[in-house]
Amino acid sequence: MKTVWTQIYIQLRMDARDKGTILVFYLVPLGFYAVMGAVFSSVNPEIKPVLSATMAIFSITMGAVIGLPPALVKLREAGVLRAYQVSGIPGRSTLAGMGISAFLHLALVAVIISVSAPLLFGAQMPQHMGGYLLTLLALLVCSVALGLLIGVVASTQAAAMMISQAVFMPSLMLSGIMFPANLLPAPLEYLGNVFPATHAMRAFHALAYGAHTDFQGSLALGIVFGMAFLAVIASVWKFELTTRVA
Amino acid sequence: MNEPILEVQNLTKRYQSVTAVNNVSFRIYPGEVFGLLGPNGAGKTTTLECMEGLRRPTSGTILVDGLHPIKDRHLVRRVLGVQLQTAALPEMMLVKEAMALICAAHDVQPRQDLLHRFGLDDLKMKQYGTLSTGQKRKLQLALALASSPKIVVLDEPTAGVDVQGRAQLHEEIRALKAVGVTLILATHDMAEAEMLCDRIAILIGGKLATVGTPEQVTAASKAETRITLRTRHGSLLGQGRIEKASFIGKSEGFAHWLCTDTASAVMELLAEAIHADDFVEDLRVERPSLEERFLEMVEGRDAR
Repeated sequence: MKTVWTQIYIQLRMDARDKGTILVFYLVPLGFYAVMGAVFSSVNPEIKPVLSATMAIFSITMGAVIGLPPALVKLREAGVLRAYQVSGIPGRSTLAGMGISAFLHLALVAVIISVSAPLLFGAQMPQHMGGYLLTLLALLVCSVALGLLIGVVASTQAAAMMISQAVFMPSLMLSGIMFPANLLPAPLEYLGNVFPATHAMRAFHALAYGAHTDFQGSLALGIVFGMAFLAVIASVWKFELTTRVA
Repeated sequence: MNEPILEVQNLTKRYQSVTAVNNVSFRIYPGEVFGLLGPNGAGKTTTLECMEGLRRPTSGTILVDGLHPIKDRHLVRRVLGVQLQTAALPEMMLVKEAMALICAAHDVQPRQDLLHRFGLDDLKMKQYGTLSTGQKRKLQLALALASSPKIVVLDEPTAGVDVQGRAQLHEEIRALKAVGVTLILATHDMAEAEMLCDRIAILIGGKLATVGTPEQVTAASKAETRITLRTRHGSLLGQGRIEKASFIGKSEGFAHWLCTDTASAVMELLAEAIHADDFVEDLRVERPSLEERFLEMVEGRDAR
């Protein structure tokens, strides 16, 4: 356990020195939030009340799905994992260290957005803070696990970027964070169910903002947690498979 | 002789249809520096990786201080320090963070003494990515020693290191040997192996071609001894009537001869110079080097 905590501590310190990490976890999502928050709050009144949630979903998905996988692939490609292995650092500890540090970065960004959106753009405060935080937690865990899964599945950094984009762009377009999902053609609306962002958006609507919806908020939240569980299991299993002694 | 601290017995490792290591056996004894030599693709790295528990042998056994490298990997990590040839650390990681992390894994306090010993004190706050090759090698060696291991594996420790850095690493290897640490050294540098190793094994095509002291390995060479000499009047330049040596050429006043019976050849050459009323100014006898013996084996000039 000492190794895991040391690794998380060092990973956070390294992240603070890494311009790439700062860019992908903080600058781009917060920059996008600043611009889109202003745009949405003026042109799309339907989004304005739930701006905190939509921008949190965008930032978390971006950081986890775009930022995390290449970093994990790079560790493997550069031989860092092998060096750790012969030094007695378990692979799972590295995976946990990267996942937890990404979780903390994204949680911080989500808090910044959640606190500032009502102040800056007049976004509505969640009616049920417990539901908001629970949905945020589910989304954070699920997105980070998905990022780790892409990182362990992708064989190269280029492949990781392609898979990340294949997950991120549809998450953005089909989940209802940019515009209501029911405006989409039926097949695309149906396809949107594959992505955790879609269910997280539903859970935010129902559980945090008390909106009258045609879906169950608790079911949407359960799906996000379920996806998180599956992604964690799959990423650990694939990681063990990749790094096992052969 | 003592009990071996590391024993490789009938090790075979296949990757699908390719046999990287083929029935290799050798023993390494406590406190010795053991060199593992071979051309690229000879199976050195695979053999080392099997020892380190990074590869599972297809067949055969390896015991590291009585431990199985895979089944007992947690215990092996404390006994065996490894400096990998291709391994790296995250570029943003500071030198002191690297030491803290490795020491946490071994459940020991950060080894500031090792940073001091390897001259890394001033580099503690430098990021790994900004270190020179020599500094990285030193850090990797310091990290390999964090658990005070009994055995240290060094895979090409001086590759890409400048002359001064190489000399420092050689000194460290000698210092480790002096305190009883067993060292396994994989290298392409024959001079390094000849200078540092107590015994060497040469792998060729996945098979163990020979094992022994550098002197024993070199002595088995079929190459002839070279005698180089210069006389005041050049009486031995280009004269082929010496029975025990054959003239092979001259350069800058030196005559070069090859022989198998060195003592007889030298005496005959000296007698010839005296007979010609000449005076020998310089005389050198060169046995075939480990490098020549190595090339002889690799290029198949060996009759074995």
